[in-house]
Amino acid sequence: MDNLQAISAVPDTDQNFILDAQGITKSFGATNVLRGMDFGVAPGEVHAFLGGNGAGKSTLLKIVAGILHQDGGTLHYRGLDVQDAAGRAARDAGLAVVHQELAVIPHLSIAENIDLPRYHKGARLFNRRHAHDAAVEALSLIDKDFAAESTDRLVSTLSLHERQMLEIARALKSGAELLLLDEPTTNLTGEEAERLFAVLRRLVETTKIAVVFVSHRMKEIRQVADVCTIIRDGQCALHRTPLSKLSDAEIIDKMGQNVVAESELLPIAVIPRIGPRVQGDALSITGLGLDIDIGPGQILGLAGAPTGPQALIDQLIGDRSQAGVHIIHGGQKRDDRSPRQAVANGVGFVSGDRANRGMLATLPIIDNMLASRRIAEERKFVRGDEGGEAAGLLEKLRIKAGSLWDLPASLSGGTQQKLIIARWLNLRPKMLVLEEPTRGVDVGTKREIYVLIRAMAEAGTTVIWWSTEQTELLELCDRILAFGPDGKAIALLTGAQISEERLAAATGLAA
Amino acid sequence: MTPTGSRPASIAAPQRPATAQPGALRKIAGTYRSEIAIAAAIILLEAVLGIFVPNALTIGNFSDIAQATAPLIIMAIGVLLVVITGGIDLSVGSIFSLVGMVAGLVMNDGYNSTTGTLCGLGVGIFFGAVNGALVTFVGLAPFVVTLITYAVAGSLAFIVTNGQSLPINDPNFYLLNSGHIIPFLPNFSLFCIVLLFIIEFTLRRIVFGRWIYAVGSSPNAARLLGIPVHLVKFSVYVASGLLAAIASVLTLSYISNAEATSGEAMMLQAIAAVVIGGASLFGGTGSAIGALLGALMITVIQNGVNLIGINGFWQGSVTGLVILVAVLIDRVSKARR
Repeated sequence: MDNLQAISAVPDTDQNFILDAQGITKSFGATNVLRGMDFGVAPGEVHAFLGGNGAGKSTLLKIVAGILHQDGGTLHYRGLDVQDAAGRAARDAGLAVVHQELAVIPHLSIAENIDLPRYHKGARLFNRRHAHDAAVEALSLIDKDFAAESTDRLVSTLSLHERQMLEIARALKSGAELLLLDEPTTNLTGEEAERLFAVLRRLVETTKIAVVFVSHRMKEIRQVADVCTIIRDGQCALHRTPLSKLSDAEIIDKMGQNVVAESELLPIAVIPRIGPRVQGDALSITGLGLDIDIGPGQILGLAGAPTGPQALIDQLIGDRSQAGVHIIHGGQKRDDRSPRQAVANGVGFVSGDRANRGMLATLPIIDNMLASRRIAEERKFVRGDEGGEAAGLLEKLRIKAGSLWDLPASLSGGTQQKLIIARWLNLRPKMLVLEEPTRGVDVGTKREIYVLIRAMAEAGTTVIWWSTEQTELLELCDRILAFGPDGKAIALLTGAQISEERLAAATGLAA
Repeated sequence: MTPTGSRPASIAAPQRPATAQPGALRKIAGTYRSEIAIAAAIILLEAVLGIFVPNALTIGNFSDIAQATAPLIIMAIGVLLVVITGGIDLSVGSIFSLVGMVAGLVMNDGYNSTTGTLCGLGVGIFFGAVNGALVTFVGLAPFVVTLITYAVAGSLAFIVTNGQSLPINDPNFYLLNSGHIIPFLPNFSLFCIVLLFIIEFTLRRIVFGRWIYAVGSSPNAARLLGIPVHLVKFSVYVASGLLAAIASVLTLSYISNAEATSGEAMMLQAIAAVVIGGASLFGGTGSAIGALLGALMITVIQNGVNLIGINGFWQGSVTGLVILVAVLIDRVSKARR
């Protein structure tokens, strides 16, 4: 125990913390996720909580929010122990969380989703007028246009990005004194993120609330946060240090990711491009307003408002076709009627929306990894050598898993994402469609994913990459197709044209 | 709770990575952890029963239990397939009744027992296909669809003979259930073992079987992966109908009397067996061995209630309590992981 104390900085006790976690431990089976973690948050600060995938970030946040229970250590809210009823009640009343996996109710309207948490007892009349007003007020904090539309729309009809805004608006409106935002900008455009940061700063300065902000994007961390705490291997690597005193390199070093130090800040072409010498299929898309031609082994980035990229992706993977849009790949017209047909024609798909579009949560790691291989190679039987095959893939991707038979939930979010990409590794699909593949993934893992994808492109796969994170598009793509809010393509950037300014100008969004 | 053993026993395939090579026994123990727990519970129940009623632990009583439980096991592994995909099949009891009536009718019309059996199985496949088509291609909820076929098949079972029961006179038909294809192993046990092996092998070692789990785990992710979700769903309903029909024909062969109400109690028992066996009604988990043990557990309880001499009306309450205990144990063991 002495050892642990020495490593983790002991917080100064005279600080008046709203949230004070000390020596938190938590294990799942034989895995010690938290090993004496300390975390203190004071009112009136935006506190960046940083750490790599698997460092224990999500686990600590879940303990703070009361979703999980710690094995050891204490957690105080406003000086009250949350083990006691009073502390728990204070925490539940004062805390609002925006989860990485969105927690909105799809079958209720926008207004109901925002206003329902206000009702603590069921036996009350639901005031539609009030709900509408509350929804408009909450939404206009972050997006006036969104607020101006009908609040009676069902949440199930909203895009991922709109749901994210809804959830943030609800948290901002809740009157919470402690806000936990777990990667809130994942599904937002640059402009919306800017507005969110402005609102956060204003709330913190005027009402002295505390905000805990989790993100993997260094730029926005610097923009919005005052202090940071870094978690590494379940322990505190850096406690409550003002960001102004730290360089990016120091932060990344503390996170234990010095190997990939500057990856997120580096400009284009860090990873060498090979260009047209690669063997593979050319892709052309017509009918989007612009004619698009991509050479073999190239990466086409999709940027801008989400409607356009989503529709194009759905068409590429055979899920939904758009009238008038024609795709020719390798000299053949592509009009797959189902994802099954698309897979049979060599189209691979990786989504960052793991819960709904990627992971088979009740199946062990091995089945999740080999799912695409079994289909692509038309395997009839579960072969005896599949254990070795899966173990080889894990090793290649440097994934640490207890056993191939564990459920994917035993891995961190970023590792699960690598697992899904592993489905296509070495399979050489003709086309690989990526939908936010680095959502919720830390800097180091992102870097590994970039290298994997680039290698697959060089092996001749045409890669289509949709990301709301413009820096990674700028870094990796040979061409970037920018979409406008109406879902129409408005610009195709090539080679030297690819720059932050051009992309921002084309999409009308701040980078 | 060992580092390598913390996987859901009910869904894992049988081999392990090259990195961990435990002995064969430990391998089986790891794969079927929750199944072993149910088996232990059954043995415990029998032991307690043996204290109160000495002749509970005789060969004769055991063979009675085996005889009584065989049709339920076969029906339960059919329902299990549907449950793994996240669906439910409420029609199996009615299909069971109707199949018996149709087979009996055909044999009473002078056809031989093989024809009668095949006609019965045809009825099972037909209703399974109707269920599958409505769920898969029309997109109706499994609960609603199978509620409809439950009602329709249940009423047809009465209509075919206007409610009359049918005695079976074909002397050879009896051999289907109690004859011996393999010496010393009565056919009902043989069929049970063979079907169990086929289903368990399919679920674990055939890619199609893994697809059944995938569809139940996340239908959308499975679809985007290129898994033929429609085909998988359709197939499990057909299999469930067919297995209910096999169970019915086996029972008819033993009882030699077709009755329109013969399957009435079995639907809920089959679903209970699947749940006791560790499957989740949300889909994505479950094993055929588990369903077998669940069915065995239910029969053992009924047998025990009879032998002790408790009023038979208590059977349902006792079974209900056992389901509650089984589900709670499952829940606690999963929360621990």
